[in-house]
Amino acid sequence: MGRDLALLIPEIAVLLAAVSALIAEILRRPRASLALAMLGLFVATGLTIRLVGTDTTVFGGSFRIDALSIWAKLILLPATMLSLLLASAEVRGTVREGTVYSLLCLATVGALILAGAGDMMFLVLGLLLTSLATFALVAYPDDDPATEAAMKYFVFGSVAGAVMIFGLTYWFGAAGSTMIADLEGTEAIPLAVIFGLVAVIVGLGYKASLVPFHFWVPDAYEGGPLSVAAFLSVVPKVGALFALTQVFRDLPSESGGPAVIAGLAVLSMTYGYLAALVQDNVVRLLAYSSIAQSGYFLLGIVALGESSFALPSIIFFAAAYAAMNLGAFAVIAAVGRTLNDFNGLGRAQPLVGVAMVLFLLSLVGIPPLAGFVGKFLLFAAAIHAQFTWLAVVAILNSVLALAVYMRIIVPMYRQEEVPHDAASIWIDIVTLTALLATVTIGLAAQFFFVKSMA
Amino acid sequence: MLPIVSLTLFLPLAGAALILALPGPTARTVHSIGIGTASLTLVGALAMWLEGVSGAGFSQVEELEWIPAIGAAYRVGVDGISLPLVLLSAMLFLGAFIYASSLRERPRAYVALVLLLETAAIGTFAALDGILFYVFFEVSLVSMYFMIAGWGHEDRQRAALMFFIYTLLGSLPLLLAILGLYLGSPDPSFDMRAWIANPPLEGAAAMWALVAMLVTFAVKIPAVPLHTWLPAAHVQAPTVGSVILAGIMLKFGTYGLVRFALQMTPEAFHEAGVVVLVFGVIGALYGAFAALAQTDLKRLVAYTSINHMGYVIIGVAVAALALDPSVRATALDGAVLQMFSHGLVTGALFFLVGMIQERAHTREMGEFGGLLKTVPLLGWSFMLAAFASLGLPGLAHFPGEFQIFLGTLGSVPAAVVSILGLAIIAGTFLKAIRETFLGEPQSRWHSMPDLSLREVLALAPLLVLTVATGVAPSWVLDTIHRTASALVL
Repeated sequence: MGRDLALLIPEIAVLLAAVSALIAEILRRPRASLALAMLGLFVATGLTIRLVGTDTTVFGGSFRIDALSIWAKLILLPATMLSLLLASAEVRGTVREGTVYSLLCLATVGALILAGAGDMMFLVLGLLLTSLATFALVAYPDDDPATEAAMKYFVFGSVAGAVMIFGLTYWFGAAGSTMIADLEGTEAIPLAVIFGLVAVIVGLGYKASLVPFHFWVPDAYEGGPLSVAAFLSVVPKVGALFALTQVFRDLPSESGGPAVIAGLAVLSMTYGYLAALVQDNVVRLLAYSSIAQSGYFLLGIVALGESSFALPSIIFFAAAYAAMNLGAFAVIAAVGRTLNDFNGLGRAQPLVGVAMVLFLLSLVGIPPLAGFVGKFLLFAAAIHAQFTWLAVVAILNSVLALAVYMRIIVPMYRQEEVPHDAASIWIDIVTLTALLATVTIGLAAQFFFVKSMA
Repeated sequence: MLPIVSLTLFLPLAGAALILALPGPTARTVHSIGIGTASLTLVGALAMWLEGVSGAGFSQVEELEWIPAIGAAYRVGVDGISLPLVLLSAMLFLGAFIYASSLRERPRAYVALVLLLETAAIGTFAALDGILFYVFFEVSLVSMYFMIAGWGHEDRQRAALMFFIYTLLGSLPLLLAILGLYLGSPDPSFDMRAWIANPPLEGAAAMWALVAMLVTFAVKIPAVPLHTWLPAAHVQAPTVGSVILAGIMLKFGTYGLVRFALQMTPEAFHEAGVVVLVFGVIGALYGAFAALAQTDLKRLVAYTSINHMGYVIIGVAVAALALDPSVRATALDGAVLQMFSHGLVTGALFFLVGMIQERAHTREMGEFGGLLKTVPLLGWSFMLAAFASLGLPGLAHFPGEFQIFLGTLGSVPAAVVSILGLAIIAGTFLKAIRETFLGEPQSRWHSMPDLSLREVLALAPLLVLTVATGVAPSWVLDTIHRTASALVL
C-alpha cells in the first residue's frame, strides 16, 4: 500500500492542488488560489521526473505506471499550467475566479487517471471526473451561449458515458473481472467483447472528439471561455486517447478493433478539415482542426502491437500537439476570435505573427517543426503495421490541412491593419513557451524514444 | 578540421538570426549583412569545391546523431552531382542579394527569408539523410511561399497559395517513398548512402516507391503535365524569387530524380525508363512550343525552363535505360551539366527581365523595340544569355545538351526527336530579341537608364561563368564525371 501511494504521489499532488485552490477561493483569495494550483502542478511535474523509466502497476494491476501514464503527466501537467495562465488573463476579477483554477486541476486529475487506466472502473472514473469538471468550466461565463454550450456538452457527455458503462458490463461478464488485461483470455465470447469495445469507443471517442462523437466540440469551444477551450482541446483529449491506447494494447487481435479505429481516423481527419474549411470563427475553426488532429493519433493506435513505432509516435505527437495547439489558442486569446481580427497581424505585431505561422505550419506538419516529427512517426507506424492506405489518406489530409490553416495565415499578411491592443504578459509567456517547445521538441525526439521504450 | 559543409550550410541561417535579433536595423545594415553572409557562404562553397570529391560515394561527410533509435541522424556530404549545385546556389544567392540591395519595402523580413531559403537550398543538395532531405525540401517551399505572397506582383496571394498547395501535395508522396525505403531496409536507417549502396526495395514495392518519387519530382521540375503552377508562380513572383525558383528550386526535382529515383530504385527505373523518357520528350517539345506562343517576356523564359528541364529528364532516363556504362556516364554528365548551366543562364535571364520590368513596368514584348540603342549594356547582356539559352556552341548550354543527345543516340535514338525543341527555342529567342531590342527605338523609352553598378555586379559573374562553362566545360565536368563514371546501378 505504501509503495502504491508513493508511486501515485504526482496524482495526489495535483489533487491537493485542486483542493487547496478551492480552499483559497473559499477564503476569497483568488490570486493565492492560482498560485497554489500552479505550485501543486509544478511540484507534481517535478515528482514525475524521478519516475521516468518505471514500468509497473499499482493496486493489483488496476492502475498503470508505464511510459504512457508517465509521459501523460509530463505533457499534461505543463499544458495545464499554461492553460491556468491563459485562464488567469481571461477570468481575472470575475466572481468565483478561483473555482476555475480548482476545476482545471480536477479535470487534469481525471485525464491522468484515464491515461493510466488498467481497469474498466478507472476508465469510468477518469471519464466522469474530466466531464463533470469541464461541464462546469464551459458554463462559467454564465451567459446564454455558454449555458447552451454547457447544456449540449452535458447531455452528449452523459449519454456517451452511460453507453460506455453499459458496454463495460458486457466486458465484465465476458472476462469475469474488471481488469482490461484479462480481456485477452476471452475469445470464447467474442460478441460480448466486440459489443463492449464499441461502447468504449463511444465513451472515449466522445472525450477525444472523434467523428461521429464530435457534435459538442465546436459549440463547447465557442461558448465557453477561450482558455477552457484551449484546455479542452489538449488535456482531456490526450487523456482519452491515451486511455484508448491502454485498452487497445490488451485487446485480443481478432477483435477487429484496428479496422474500426482506422475508419474513425479517416472520418475524423477528413470531416474535421472539411468542416474547418468553411468556418469564419477562428475558435470554431480550431475546434474542427482539433477533431482532425485526433484522427492522426489513431494512426498510432491501429499500429499497436504491430509496430515498435506505435507507442513513441503517439506520445511524441501528444507532446507536439499540446505545444502547438496551446500556442495557437494563446495567440487567439491575444488577437481575437474572428478571421477579420487577424487582418494585418503579421505587419502590426511581427513576432506574434511569426509565432502563429509556426504553430499553424506545425499543425499542418511542415518540417522541421514538432508536428512534422510527430506525424512522420505516426505515418511510419501505420505503414509498418500494413495500414499503408491509411497513411496515404492521412497524407492527403495534410494538404487539406494546409488549405485550412492558410485561411488564417493569408489575411495576416494583407495590407490593411486592424489596431491590436497589447495582450496580457501572461499570454505572451504562454505563447513564448509553446513556441519554444514547438520549435525545439523535434530535436529532442531521441529522448522520447529512449524513455518510452525503456 | 573545420566542418566546412555544415558551416556553409548554416551560415545563412545564422545571418537570418542576426538580422532578426538586431533591434530596428536600417535597410542598409540589413542588406550588408545579407551580402556579407552570402559572400562568406560562397567562400565556404568554394572551399568545398577545392576540397573536391573522390570517385565513388560521398566526400566531406559530416554526421551527428539525432534519433539513433530509428536510425535518423544529421548527415551531410557531397559528390560530383551535388557539389556543382551547391556552388551554383551559393553564386546565385549572392547575385540575388546584390540585386535586391535597393529594396526598401520591409527589407528585414525579406533578407531573412532569402537567407533561410539559401540554407534550405544548400541543405537539400548536401543532405545525406532521408528525413533531413525532406526537411530542407519543405522549408524551401514555405520560404518561397512567403516571398511570393509578400513581395510579388498584383495577383500574388492567389499565385502563392496555388504554388504552396500544389507543391505540398506534390512533395507528400516523397514522404511515403522515404518511409517505404526506410521500412524496407534490412537494418532500418534513414542513411541515404545505405539506400544507394543496397537499394532496399524490389519488385512491386520498388515500382510504387518510384511512382511516388516521380510524382514529387515531376511537380518540382516541373514536367508536363504537372507544370501548371510554374508560369503562374513566375509571373507573380518578385525577380529574386523567380531567379531562385528557376535557377535553384527546379533543380531540387532533377537532383531528386538522380539521387532518389535513379540511385535508390535503379531496377524499377530501368523498367519504367521509357515512360520517363517520353515525359521528358513531351516536356522538351511542349515547353518550346509554349514559349514560342508567349508575348510576356517572363512567361517566355519560364516556359523555356520547362524545355530545358525536359532535356535533363531525357538525360536521366537515358542513363537509366543505357546498358553500356560509358553511354550512361555521358548522359548523366550531360544532365548534371545541363542543371548547372540552366541555373546560370536562366538566373541571368530572369534578372534581366526583372531589370526591364523595373524600368518599363511592363513585360509585353510588343511594347518595346530598339532597346539595344537606348540600353546597350542591358541589351547585349540579354542577347548573350538568350544565345546561351538557345544552345549556341561556346556558351553554357551547348556542352550539356550535346552530351545528352550523344547519350540518347547511343541508346534510344528515337528520342532525338526532341532536338526539334532546340530549333523552336532558337526561333523563340530570336523573335524576342527582334521585338524587344532591335528595330526603331520608341520615343517613350528614350530616358530608360542602362545597367547600374549594382545590376552589373549581380549579373557579371553569371555571364562570365556562362562563357567559361561553354568554352571550357571541363572545370565543372571533371567533378561531375568523377562521380557519374563511378556510379554503380
